[in-house]
Amino acid sequence: MLQGSVQERMKISPYMAAYVIVAMQTGMGVLSYQQVLVKDAGHDAWISIIATGLTVHILVWIMYRICETVEGDVLYANVYLFGKIIGNSFNTLFIFYYIIYCLTSLGGLIEIIRTWMFNDLNPIVFGAIYLLLGIYIVFGGFRTVAGISFLGLVIPSYLMLSFLIPLKYGDFSNLLPVLDHTPMELVKSGYNMIFSFLGYGILLFFYPFIKKPQQSKKWVHIGLLGTTFIYTALAIISFAYFPEGLLARSIWPTLEMWKIVRLPFIERFEYLGIANWALIMLPNVAISLWCASRVAKRVYHLNQRKAVIVIACVCLIIVSLLQSRDRMNLLFEVHSKVGLAIAYFYTPILYLGLLIKKKVKTK
Amino acid sequence: MKKFRLIIILCLCSLFLVGNVQKRVIDDVNIATGFGINKSNGQLQGSIMIPVFKADKSIGNFTFSAKGKIPRDLVSEMQKTASQPIVAGALDIAFFGEDLAREGIIQVLDVFLRDPTIGARLNLAVVDGDVNDIFKGNYGDRGNHEYLRQLLEQNMKVHNLPLTNLHFFLADFYEEGKDAYLPVLKKTKNDLVNITGIALFKDEKLVDILHENKMFYFKLLVDKHTQGSVMVKEKHGDASVKSITSKHKIKLLNRNPYKFGVHLKLKGYLTEHQGGNLKKSEVEDLEKQLEKQIVEECTTMIEDFQKKEIDPVGFGHFAQSRTRNFDFNKWQERYKSAQFKITAEVDIVQIGVIK
Repeated sequence: MLQGSVQERMKISPYMAAYVIVAMQTGMGVLSYQQVLVKDAGHDAWISIIATGLTVHILVWIMYRICETVEGDVLYANVYLFGKIIGNSFNTLFIFYYIIYCLTSLGGLIEIIRTWMFNDLNPIVFGAIYLLLGIYIVFGGFRTVAGISFLGLVIPSYLMLSFLIPLKYGDFSNLLPVLDHTPMELVKSGYNMIFSFLGYGILLFFYPFIKKPQQSKKWVHIGLLGTTFIYTALAIISFAYFPEGLLARSIWPTLEMWKIVRLPFIERFEYLGIANWALIMLPNVAISLWCASRVAKRVYHLNQRKAVIVIACVCLIIVSLLQSRDRMNLLFEVHSKVGLAIAYFYTPILYLGLLIKKKVKTK
Repeated sequence: MKKFRLIIILCLCSLFLVGNVQKRVIDDVNIATGFGINKSNGQLQGSIMIPVFKADKSIGNFTFSAKGKIPRDLVSEMQKTASQPIVAGALDIAFFGEDLAREGIIQVLDVFLRDPTIGARLNLAVVDGDVNDIFKGNYGDRGNHEYLRQLLEQNMKVHNLPLTNLHFFLADFYEEGKDAYLPVLKKTKNDLVNITGIALFKDEKLVDILHENKMFYFKLLVDKHTQGSVMVKEKHGDASVKSITSKHKIKLLNRNPYKFGVHLKLKGYLTEHQGGNLKKSEVEDLEKQLEKQIVEECTTMIEDFQKKEIDPVGFGHFAQSRTRNFDFNKWQERYKSAQFKITAEVDIVQIGVIK
């Protein structure tokens, strides 16, 4: 059986693994997670973010264990555990999951551009160009995808500075009293936060592409800590800036915080932010296209180049149908439920199954 | 290689296509800089101020006015008379007539919240008198909106007006246990507008107007770092003190009944003294006198707020932030019977360059 072994020259350095994962995590969620967060635990929800962030570390540890046990990616683990037919049908589901992932990223970006900047933007034309760019990146191989993840994080990272200005207008007494909510409410908020963290599952697929997987662990965990820190800091700034009643009404609180920023050379900072967000979304689209086509290649032995074009076309057709808030919400819902199931149920079960199978085989 | 060429050609083609969105060239739009709205005879009356850039580099003004039922309706009515589309991206000031403010301004705020092009730094104010009239004055070459904006902003920065803008108003409005406030403007001459006080809101309705003499004390209570100036009446002669920084610290002294301690700390310098030569002990007397004045004024002001059931200082919010499972329904009753202990500490650090 082919384990999906990868030539040395196509592999990435261990620290790049962290960029791929963090780039996949940061996406539309950063713009809007505060409003779902605040529903249950109110101003205490930052505690839930930290707690959820910690569970992600455990899951990533399990993912590393899975890949180490079978010395390959999750596609091989499925086949190893369930046999060829069931395993590969499981694997096929991942193609659909990553198509949905690509759709939420692209659809979300188009929705924001249409709401905040150009009402009459044609989603098909914009989607076509964006996906063409994605295809072009995937054609370059996984090293290019990882490179774009790096750029898609580092170039827009200056946006973090812009949140210092809303900080000045914040009222930190909004955060008091700490722990004014029941543990149940905190858990509910933590549950809602799971969706904003999704994306680390990509590790299961690109594991064979890491040069020294052992060394990459450290970097990946540091990267995950960084994501947790950014989410927590941004949540605290939002809670200070908005009273709870207003935060629950906003659809994109992060964008609304930019409304207070006024620089001498740019009257409205949101325009700069949204334009940059197109760059932040690029890794999400490119990685999910890469992953979907990689699965197609491994399972059906297709040419990856052909597969990625077909997948991009499917994405484009569906994106053109997603032109209302309701349909977008439905898509987000499907994406988050499936993501949750994969991360918190499928991954641990797969790991346990592998452990048992290994034990049985060695006996 | 052929495939790449195809992709590049496709990309180039689509570049031409994607440029096909609505353009807003700055010369071809009416940039709304001021928005005024009032209610009379059950109808909304609104006006929008547009700057007109003249050849001699001075800025003139043009005002669109219309009547309608809801705020957005007004704008589309105005659009009918405009040769170019009116855009709201640079809106700096929004004025409400006193009559409308007394009935509630929530429907206008909904427009400001919903429209992504309107910034959070928008200056809001209540106008005593005709709203449309205030736009039609002649306030210098920089344009009327620039005058009105700077009037508000510089008074907030270095004088007695507390910080207000759309963000602060909405934050106070949506915060439980805190009420919003806005400056009140009045056109006094054809070329001057005066700040005549502070409009105090209960929820979205104006309930009272604070006199301009009390603005300094009000600012001490609501703002964190305050600049402003105040006159001190003292036996050696009247004096004027300008504050450099101020701090207010609220403490919850007792919960049943609620008792709050408010400590106001002020650092200032003497800008005028009518009594001639200034002795060292006189500065101390002056400090004491100002402390007494601040305590008296603030106490009467807060007691007045209690009677009117408004809470612009945010005692309710403060109590909530110090109490677990705080119940706002009970708070309404208990606020009326709450007690306040106000203390002040004035430190005059400079007396100018003469003795």
